[in-house]
Amino acid sequence: MILNTKNLRVGYGKKTVVADINIEAMKGQFIGLLGPNGSGKSTILKTIVRMLVPLGGEIYLNGHNISSLSNLEMARTTAVVLTESISPGLLAAYDVVMLGRHPYTGFIGKPTEEDNRKVFEALKMVNAADLAHRYFGELSDGEKQKTMLARALAQEPQLIVLDEPTSHLDARHRIEVMLILRQLTQKKGVTVIASLHDIDLAMKACDIVILIKDERILACGAPEDVLEESTVADLYNMDKAAFSSYLGGVELRSNGHGPVYVVAGSGSGARLYRSLVKHGFSIITGVLPENDIDYYIARAVGATVVSEKPYNEISSDACSQAQKLMSDAKLVVDADFPVGSANRRNIDLMRHALESGQGTYTLRGRDEAVKIYGDIASRFIYCQSLSQLMDVISKSENLIT
Amino acid sequence: MAKTMTTSETNETVSFLARRWKRFALVMTLFAVGVFLFLVLNVALGSVNIPFPDTIKAIFGGHSSQSAFDSIIWQLRLPRAFGALLSGSALAVAGLLLQVFFRNPIVDPFILGVSSGATFMVAIAMLGSYLLGATVVSSLTLSMASFVGAVLVMLVALAVASKVRDIITLLVIGLMTGYVVSALSSFLIAFAQSENVHRFVIWTMGSFSGFRWEYVQWLAIASIPLMTGCYLMSKQLNAFLLGENYARSSMGVNVKVFRYLIIFLSCALTAIVTAFAGPVAFIGLAVPHLARLSLGTSDNRILIPVSILGGAMLTSLCDLLARMLFAPVELPVSATTAIFGAPMVIFFLIKGKTAI
Repeated sequence: MILNTKNLRVGYGKKTVVADINIEAMKGQFIGLLGPNGSGKSTILKTIVRMLVPLGGEIYLNGHNISSLSNLEMARTTAVVLTESISPGLLAAYDVVMLGRHPYTGFIGKPTEEDNRKVFEALKMVNAADLAHRYFGELSDGEKQKTMLARALAQEPQLIVLDEPTSHLDARHRIEVMLILRQLTQKKGVTVIASLHDIDLAMKACDIVILIKDERILACGAPEDVLEESTVADLYNMDKAAFSSYLGGVELRSNGHGPVYVVAGSGSGARLYRSLVKHGFSIITGVLPENDIDYYIARAVGATVVSEKPYNEISSDACSQAQKLMSDAKLVVDADFPVGSANRRNIDLMRHALESGQGTYTLRGRDEAVKIYGDIASRFIYCQSLSQLMDVISKSENLIT
Repeated sequence: MAKTMTTSETNETVSFLARRWKRFALVMTLFAVGVFLFLVLNVALGSVNIPFPDTIKAIFGGHSSQSAFDSIIWQLRLPRAFGALLSGSALAVAGLLLQVFFRNPIVDPFILGVSSGATFMVAIAMLGSYLLGATVVSSLTLSMASFVGAVLVMLVALAVASKVRDIITLLVIGLMTGYVVSALSSFLIAFAQSENVHRFVIWTMGSFSGFRWEYVQWLAIASIPLMTGCYLMSKQLNAFLLGENYARSSMGVNVKVFRYLIIFLSCALTAIVTAFAGPVAFIGLAVPHLARLSLGTSDNRILIPVSILGGAMLTSLCDLLARMLFAPVELPVSATTAIFGAPMVIFFLIKGKTAI
């Protein structure tokens, strides 16, 4: 065990921010702290690295109470990457990383060959060897963050504490930084504790997540166990969006006008659902088998879903339920779903919509539609693309209301 | 495959580091040559021009061709030249230390009010003794007064540093102390006679005129160990480039001790120079920038020695100009340092390459 806390209470002055913190961090674990802004993630991290004094309880590093360790002992075991941006003047990335060797260099800080080698190892570890000679101030945010990571690595720590290491970064660097951290834990056995904002990245990279809200730890454990729709919704007070543990991400919730009835399947609905949500429609969809990707996305975006058990043919019950819901819908969309024996009844459903004279749209080409639905396919309103469909139905929606 | 990559990367760093050391060596040599050049000019030029061979001989301790030259060189010009040299070095290092400490490029050695304290005590000594009927105030008295004033302000700064956590607060308190003490000086000026005020005002602009060997001695005894002390802190200073939080939590710097040491070293250096030469402006502000920009690094391990040379060089040049430009009238040295220093600082800041 690298780090553990006992009934730790953290905060500023007399104000407690989080209490009853009992963390156990093992060698090589990647621990993510999740929680809304201001929940105290940073306060906990700053206390662990002795930038703040604990208001109560104890913190142990390798079994030693950290208040008994010298600055040097701390610096040799624990490295920090803070959110504050630094402006070190005319230092090259190499110099910044070399500062990480401070706990090991002599009185004047003259680097040895070994220090030099370690600096380069660290830079390579974060894919930043080519940045060595460039001024730190001239690097992009992502490159700066990688350099700061390399600096932390050059300290040869057992524990790296990072405060929001991925904020301000673009998509590529965000993932790159998480991968580097993941690698550190697996290859070098370094323990990583980081406060994070991306639930999806945390779920995919962390061994343990700790959820913090309202001055206490809401939950702690493997992300697979802890990160469920209801817990995440509670953590962030989300009602306009939902976390799906199957999809590993957050989906916006549909609400507003419509509803639009979507007949989809096998992923044909995924982009359509998100587009509809984005344009403010609420969604009814079905019939979908309960093992279909569209089923999970539809659930996550808060659509009303008519479903069938996995690997079963669509039953007439489900079909009639779908027909009933369809009659409430303002319009019906055929998402260009693949047709097979199990979902034949969805074709009947579409025919029904066409016969009833509802506004019925399709994303299929004309020839294919005729092949599947026969002559009645001439009643379809054809759309070449999602954006065209959105254009058309947004306009017709305006006409209706 | 992996092996070749390693080699090429290593080569690249080696060449980057080698290029950098070449640049450091070049700048160091140029500055050292500059120091020697201005030292020679300072000794050779004046109301009596001394031939260069005699000057060189005299500097290395020999005798020149005429005994009149000997006395000019040994009693007037050499002590003054060395005074300018040492003072410039001390101010440059003090300025560098405080710029790094406050993480602010427009900080100079007087930012904590050291010169105001010195000025105030000199005002008391000078104007006070005239009020009491004295006709002459010895320069030694003024030096003592100046030193006492500077040290008092330094003690205030140290006391404040132990109370406040935030560095910017310390900076603001230093500035305010300076204003208050300056205001006290202006009270004294209001009550003084105008010819005395003239002498006082000239003092506040600094001068190396009448610099004696014993001053050089005192300056050397105090400033050389202090500057060495600064050099020994360059590792901690470098850590401070990343800010107080990183310096403390990630590099094991004892920030509290470090803080006292910085204030002590920089104020003591400034105090000792101000005692003998008065407040010499702009050297402490401009030279660190000059050093950083010509070296292309903020690494204090090399910046400190180069600032020492740069301060010596620039101050020698400015004193030479102060003596020569409108001879026989001598300008206050702050006038020439400002004329050189201010455009230099503006240029550096606009060029944007230099920060701290």
